[in-house]
Amino acid sequence: MIILTQIPAEIMEILPFLIPLVIAQLALLAYTLWHIFTHPNYRRWNRMTWVIIVLIGMQFWGPILYFLFGKEEA
Amino acid sequence: MALLEIRHVHKKFGSNQVLTDVNLQVEPHTIYGLIGENGAGKTTTMKMILGLLPIEEGEIFIDGKKVTYGANQTNKMIGYLPDVPEFYGYMSAKEYLQLCAKITGMKSSLVQARIRELLDLVGLAENNKRIHGYSRGMKQRLGIAQALLNQPKLLICDEPTSALDPKGRKEILDILLAIKKETTIIFSTHILSDVERICDDIGLLHQGSIHFQGNMQTLKREHQMEGFEIEFASQSECQTFSALFGAGEQLSLTRLRYTNPQQGDLRQTLDICASHNLIPIKIEQLEATLESVFLEVINDETTPRV
Amino acid sequence: MMKQLLAFSQKEILELIRSGRLLLFVILFIVFGIMNPALAKLTPWLLEQLATTLAESGIVVVDMPVDALTSWQQFYKNFPMALIIYTILSAGVLTNEYQHGTLINMVTKGLPRWKIILAKTVVLWGTWTLLYSIMFAITYAYNAYFWDNSIAADLWIAGVLVYLFGIFILTLVIWSSTLFKTSTAVMASVGALVIGMYGISVVPTWGTYLPTQLLTAQNLLTEVTPLHDYQFAIILTGILIPILLLGSIVIFNQKRI
Repeated sequence: MIILTQIPAEIMEILPFLIPLVIAQLALLAYTLWHIFTHPNYRRWNRMTWVIIVLIGMQFWGPILYFLFGKEEA
Repeated sequence: MALLEIRHVHKKFGSNQVLTDVNLQVEPHTIYGLIGENGAGKTTTMKMILGLLPIEEGEIFIDGKKVTYGANQTNKMIGYLPDVPEFYGYMSAKEYLQLCAKITGMKSSLVQARIRELLDLVGLAENNKRIHGYSRGMKQRLGIAQALLNQPKLLICDEPTSALDPKGRKEILDILLAIKKETTIIFSTHILSDVERICDDIGLLHQGSIHFQGNMQTLKREHQMEGFEIEFASQSECQTFSALFGAGEQLSLTRLRYTNPQQGDLRQTLDICASHNLIPIKIEQLEATLESVFLEVINDETTPRV
Repeated sequence: MMKQLLAFSQKEILELIRSGRLLLFVILFIVFGIMNPALAKLTPWLLEQLATTLAESGIVVVDMPVDALTSWQQFYKNFPMALIIYTILSAGVLTNEYQHGTLINMVTKGLPRWKIILAKTVVLWGTWTLLYSIMFAITYAYNAYFWDNSIAADLWIAGVLVYLFGIFILTLVIWSSTLFKTSTAVMASVGALVIGMYGISVVPTWGTYLPTQLLTAQNLLTEVTPLHDYQFAIILTGILIPILLLGSIVIFNQKRI
């Protein structure tokens, strides 16, 4: 409880957003990375490039770009 | 009655005449080989039988029913194996066959048994992998399984062996031979040895028209080459024989070919060998190969008629 | 036969799941749903940051009240982005099959072509319905928790109107897929049509007849635009959707696949 009271009120206010948002984004990130590491071939570029792109755009742009341009068609 | 009958079919793509007056009949429970070079019109013919291309001129009948473009009444009787069959890579072989079974409207009580039977036939029964990990040969075998699913009267295979290695080719040919009693097969190819191995009847398609059609044995007999070849172990033996029997076509230093021989020639040959202590490694009577016939037909047609 | 339609729709759903697209979509639309109220909540704080810099240049920023409307405005601002992403990632719905030749087998097995179009459309619409509901529900729930949704007028109607626009765009994707061979051509043509509609809207009054009018549905919330300004656009969109679908079937029946 001590810790909680030390957090500024503004941040307390946005925690209900922050927590699920971070969870969703992490899930997306984890899923995308899993996909990259379990598939050896991509439509273009290589594994390293995609990992970097996905990490840089980890809010959600990275995964979208990967699924649009990197994922090999099943 | 012929199971498949093509009557006076012509086909143009723009100004390009692809097929000219194609006629052919395929009898039930035979394997029919449609032979031709690339671009001879094999795939076009097959797509027209399947109703995947419009038929502007001529008619095609399957078991007496007319084929019309776009509709698929006749397709219910056909199993089709495309040259490079493509499936949904995210499914397993079993799942794909189940989808096909539902599409063809098979009775669901029969589906499981039939799928098991077919997967056994093509050797994919133990395989639960997704199709995207399959080799060419495995895809080709799955292609046969899906084509045979609803026990079609006619199985159409477009170059089923062309993309495969010798082992894969043998597997496919063995499967085709094995299913001959259940269905009728028409397959296109430019690999003549495949045709010699399994076909009963053949049709030679060259530059868009059928140049020969009929039974393979008859064809070979009609184009029978007469004569024999003889081979010796050494050059000197070969020369001795040539001096005694008469000069022949010298195929190599130790090999001779005699065409248009007289009656009793072979006997004389054996006599000469025996009396002069010549021991041939090989004596072979000449036989028409499909290749020689094929080349003969093509050459006849490419030289302009006066 | 209903069985064929069901089997092919199941295949479409299996593809969505196994290709990972469904999971990607669901997470994305959850993120979008949370972002709307989150951005609204952050607005005063952002303005405060701005105010200090603006004050130096003599501009005074007035405190802006944040309520459910601020959040719904974010919802309608982010909506096009969500729809664009879903459309782009779905643009290959038919063209991918042409390129791999996977439909040939289905058709030669006796699947009527109209069933392919219908099954694909239903699954495309269905997925959209699910995703849009997720995004709408999350924003709605946050708004109800922090503020009060009742201050937004015609909340549900506005929500349905932009949803309908989504359905219209997805039907366009299907229609365009029967005309072109590649997903790039599908995206380009759908994009060009939407831009074209915006172009026509430059002429006053004309814009209110077009489907793009539905995208301005947030004006209903603040009662800036009355509902009857939308009726033509609703009717036109409602007519265009079945026409496009019928057109797709007619074209697809003649298409070389």
